[in-house]
Amino acid sequence: MAPPAGPRPGWSRRAQYGLFFSFIAAIVSVAIGLILLAFSIAAPGTFKDLRGLALDLTTPISVPLHGISATVHGLASGAGDYWDAASQNERLKRENQGMREQLVAARAIQQENRQLKGTLRLREQLPDAVATGRLVGSSFQSPRRFAILSAGKRDGVRIGMPVRASRGLIGRVVDAGALSSRILLVSDSASIVPARHLRTGQAVIAQGRGDGTIVIKPLEVGRNPFRPGDSIITSGTGGLYPPLVPIARIKRLEGDNAIAVPFAEPSATSFAIVLRPFEPEAMVTRAQVGQELP
Amino acid sequence: MVRSALAQNRRIGRGPISAAAYVPAVSVIMATLLSALPIIALNGWFPDFGFLALIAWRLLRADVWPSWWAAPLGLFSDLVTGSPLGLSVVVWTSSMLALDLLDRRTQWRDYWIEWLLASLLILLHETAQWQVAAWMGARVPMSSMIPPLLIAIAAFPVAAWMASRLDRWRLGRS
Repeated sequence: MAPPAGPRPGWSRRAQYGLFFSFIAAIVSVAIGLILLAFSIAAPGTFKDLRGLALDLTTPISVPLHGISATVHGLASGAGDYWDAASQNERLKRENQGMREQLVAARAIQQENRQLKGTLRLREQLPDAVATGRLVGSSFQSPRRFAILSAGKRDGVRIGMPVRASRGLIGRVVDAGALSSRILLVSDSASIVPARHLRTGQAVIAQGRGDGTIVIKPLEVGRNPFRPGDSIITSGTGGLYPPLVPIARIKRLEGDNAIAVPFAEPSATSFAIVLRPFEPEAMVTRAQVGQELP
Repeated sequence: MVRSALAQNRRIGRGPISAAAYVPAVSVIMATLLSALPIIALNGWFPDFGFLALIAWRLLRADVWPSWWAAPLGLFSDLVTGSPLGLSVVVWTSSMLALDLLDRRTQWRDYWIEWLLASLLILLHETAQWQVAAWMGARVPMSSMIPPLLIAIAAFPVAAWMASRLDRWRLGRS
């Protein structure tokens, strides 16, 4: 059946025109939206001030409520720890003993390393912390993996800076407001971190999968070098992430690659540290080339 | 008998609350702001509350707002949720236009057709989100979009129920 000529809100000309103009306005808005979207995809930095402002507006909601959710999470995991305290205690004691032995060995190696570097006059820029904040939110409604950090431009955070927790790497800053910033987590599919396989020293690439895990790809072709339980650390290649920051532990193998779980689980991380880019010169060149953040 | 005669009849003299015309839009804004809750999830399986509220209201009433209102509401959602600017503007406004065109064709509507329409719109929304993420270098397998799609479809009746309760409240009929 052919549709009627259109919805007529009665005989009022005013109402009819109103309906017509709202239809035109909607079509124009879709066109404007498409242009905005094209800009957001092609030049992600276009609206960074607007996005920073919006981040600040939602901070007053996220930050106070975070205290409540952190308490609930703490109670839940705390209760879980009591459940098998005896066996856990036994295991932890064993681990502690092993760690102490390893620590002594590591100290000796560190000292030797310092002496060797001193003789080589190798000067490395130590990555220093810019700001610390709490992770107060995440993009729990979209396929992208972002987190909200409660530190912003006022604390010295700038777009592009790497973020880590005490346990390991978290990601890098993609939006910065005055009070808070948005972080691209290492588990996002757009996040690619140059990394190293700790056991063999082989160069690998750690790319997120969007579901909280990371896929580890070896750069060299050959036999799959990974074993479940292996650690992956940053290599410092590319100049953004400082070297020797733990990223993830391998869970299982998949073809030539391995699937790993990040050490710094965002939901269990209380504090995150924003660092300066490891080698800022490299970052400037990269920005000029135009391969900046998604 | 006497008791009921003495009791006040609350249904008389009650009309729409003031600013009743803006309650739907405000409720969509509030639903969008739920994304600022401090939930840190490993995967983005939560439904887009703002979009659910928008289509729930629009399916409940055709004249709830002029269709172009979806554009500023979508822009707000983009800014709050941190999705690429313009994505929700396009998807939200075009779903309003699609429903406007559909309203001319449909002879009758019942609950199941509404749910079906909402599911189609949610599918469109998720696909657009996935495609834009892929264009921005974050391609994820399509299969990973199925759980959030099912969750959003299952969550639509809740949104529809809340929209209808709010509608009765704003019109003074509860």
